[in-house]
Amino acid sequence: MTESTTAPTSTAPLIEVEGLRKYFPIRKGVFSRHVGNVKAVDGLSFTVGRQETLSLVGESGCGKTTAGRTLLRLLEPTAGRASYRAEPDTEAIELFDLSRRQMREYRTDLQIIFQDPYSSLNPRKTAGGIVGEALRVHGLATGQELEDRVAELLVRVGLRADAFNRFPHEFSGGQRQRIGIARALALEPRFIVCDEAVSALDVSIQAQVINLLKDLQEERGLSFLFIAHDLSVVKYLSDRIAVMYLGRIVELATAAELFSNPRHPYTKALLSAVPRPDPKLRQERIPLTGDVPSPMNPPPGCHFAPRCPVAEKRCHEAYPETVKVTATHEAACHLVE
Amino acid sequence: MSTETQSKGSSGAEEKSGEVLLQVKDLRTHFRGDEGIAKAVDGVNYSVLAGETLGIVGESGCGKSVTALSILGLVPMPPGFNAGGEILFRGENLLEVDERRLREIRGNDISMIFQEPMTALNPVFTVGNQIMETVMLHQGMDKMAAHQHAIRMLEKVGIPSPEQRVDEYPHQLSGGMRQRVMIAMAMACSPSLLIADEPTTALDVTIQAQVLELISELQKREGMSVLLITHDLGVVAQTADHVAVMYAGKVVEYGSVETIFGKPCHPYTIGLFHSLPDLAPPGVRLSTIEGIVPSAFRFPSGCRFRTRCPLASDRCAEIEPTLERFGDQAGHTVACHHLEEAEKL
Repeated sequence: MTESTTAPTSTAPLIEVEGLRKYFPIRKGVFSRHVGNVKAVDGLSFTVGRQETLSLVGESGCGKTTAGRTLLRLLEPTAGRASYRAEPDTEAIELFDLSRRQMREYRTDLQIIFQDPYSSLNPRKTAGGIVGEALRVHGLATGQELEDRVAELLVRVGLRADAFNRFPHEFSGGQRQRIGIARALALEPRFIVCDEAVSALDVSIQAQVINLLKDLQEERGLSFLFIAHDLSVVKYLSDRIAVMYLGRIVELATAAELFSNPRHPYTKALLSAVPRPDPKLRQERIPLTGDVPSPMNPPPGCHFAPRCPVAEKRCHEAYPETVKVTATHEAACHLVE
Repeated sequence: MSTETQSKGSSGAEEKSGEVLLQVKDLRTHFRGDEGIAKAVDGVNYSVLAGETLGIVGESGCGKSVTALSILGLVPMPPGFNAGGEILFRGENLLEVDERRLREIRGNDISMIFQEPMTALNPVFTVGNQIMETVMLHQGMDKMAAHQHAIRMLEKVGIPSPEQRVDEYPHQLSGGMRQRVMIAMAMACSPSLLIADEPTTALDVTIQAQVLELISELQKREGMSVLLITHDLGVVAQTADHVAVMYAGKVVEYGSVETIFGKPCHPYTIGLFHSLPDLAPPGVRLSTIEGIVPSAFRFPSGCRFRTRCPLASDRCAEIEPTLERFGDQAGHTVACHHLEEAEKL
């Protein structure tokens, strides 16, 4: 490895994202004229530390899934940069500058687990084939060694070794998600994007998978970018949480700070809307009217202003700067002092 | 609105709140499949009182939706068939009435909203048309009156500019709006019982909050009962009066929402609460229920939860526990042989 030009510190994060943008062009007419953009992700900046779980939360259409996929270049970014630093003292790799071929090398380190355990597994392949595929493609193991490693992985994620020769339809949703996890683990990655990885599961199964993810994180020093809409899962799992609204991060803080002292009105409304499993708690909800506006033509000024219960005149005019509340807590709102 | 009152003449007197409106007795709905017979619903008992919300909770495959479909006679037969039991609505056994009578009840006295508003709405008709259909059928309104009624219903469920929306198609509306349209359709004939099958599962939390508020508001105003089917314990805690917990085709525990959430007694209910990340402090491992829900083709003998239960004994394999009164709370019933030990879980 070549020496880095800038002196790396021990706190250098594993992943550093700056100004990430992903626009989807809208084309119309016979000449496919470019008439506008859907700004799915519109300037995201965040870091993911070593063995840290950063969560991206928000409602459907806020761009959280697109952000995760663009970061791994499953979608090509429109603008921005993302660097990956395997060790604190190695050179940072600019992921968006790599060619497709070069990117392939780093895929062993950067993996993803998908939401839907039904559509993300090839129904014609056995569990063993699915989990072993990446090892084979990357030429990391063959023959008996491959089989042993796959069997070991299947057992590690809580399946029986005889799962090897069975097909996806023979497994339940929770078991399929375990196969997806084993597949992501096969290449011994450093970083995994978990895209709604537990959302489709029943509570009792969800708890099993959450525990598994936590154990694996400790055991292997993994970092997670956890993409979810379920705030109770996120609160339990995350070190830090970024709340997204219409393509941008509106608030980012440690899990404890975000839940005890939310500052952005959207975060407050979101937290108050989660139904708590306690009938004695008559919840005071902050009512939000209307729907999330279209990312095709977001409202001028703060995107949240049209639904915000405390919006002022200036909120409709200019997008707010991100303000630091504490060293580990920031929010983008005109009303946060 | 004379049309609304006269139409209910056939269905008899209005219940006082607290009286039993719907009683499901030992209901068994089975399905024939490749592997034999799936006992999706296998001896379910519960009652819905007038004016209350009964929450049915349980994980996928426990039979909570099939029970609801059975009430309305919407289970596809075959492969489904009724293997016993009664569904008494105002004393009338819905399993024995003919299709004509069932159609009179469906959409008029009992209506249903589904999880996925996009698939439950007809994409080639305007939302107005779909609301009008029920009132024209059940209440004999003419087209003009029905159209006006549809606008009033859309207004009632909080859809902005209803005069315009009434002529739009489902695809022109957002998910939350579609679910409101579904509710407007279901409420069009002021039913006495609304069955809501996972009504907010496909919605975002802020929209979910709006829809749940709407349902409980309408319920208070119209005095109807709600049968709420969900897997989300948070939703149940915030909306239900009574809760029935289902596991593998049976109700394993029933009680008031305060009792079930305050002092759950069945090992399954207890396990379910322990699995909730909401209630666990960060950093502490979640406790889980080991294993998976057994297949409806091969339920274990005796107590169906025993294969996953930390308290299971030989007795659980031999004798199936029935719902028995337990504890000091009135109306609290539990089906378990080991209730004393379960208190220590």
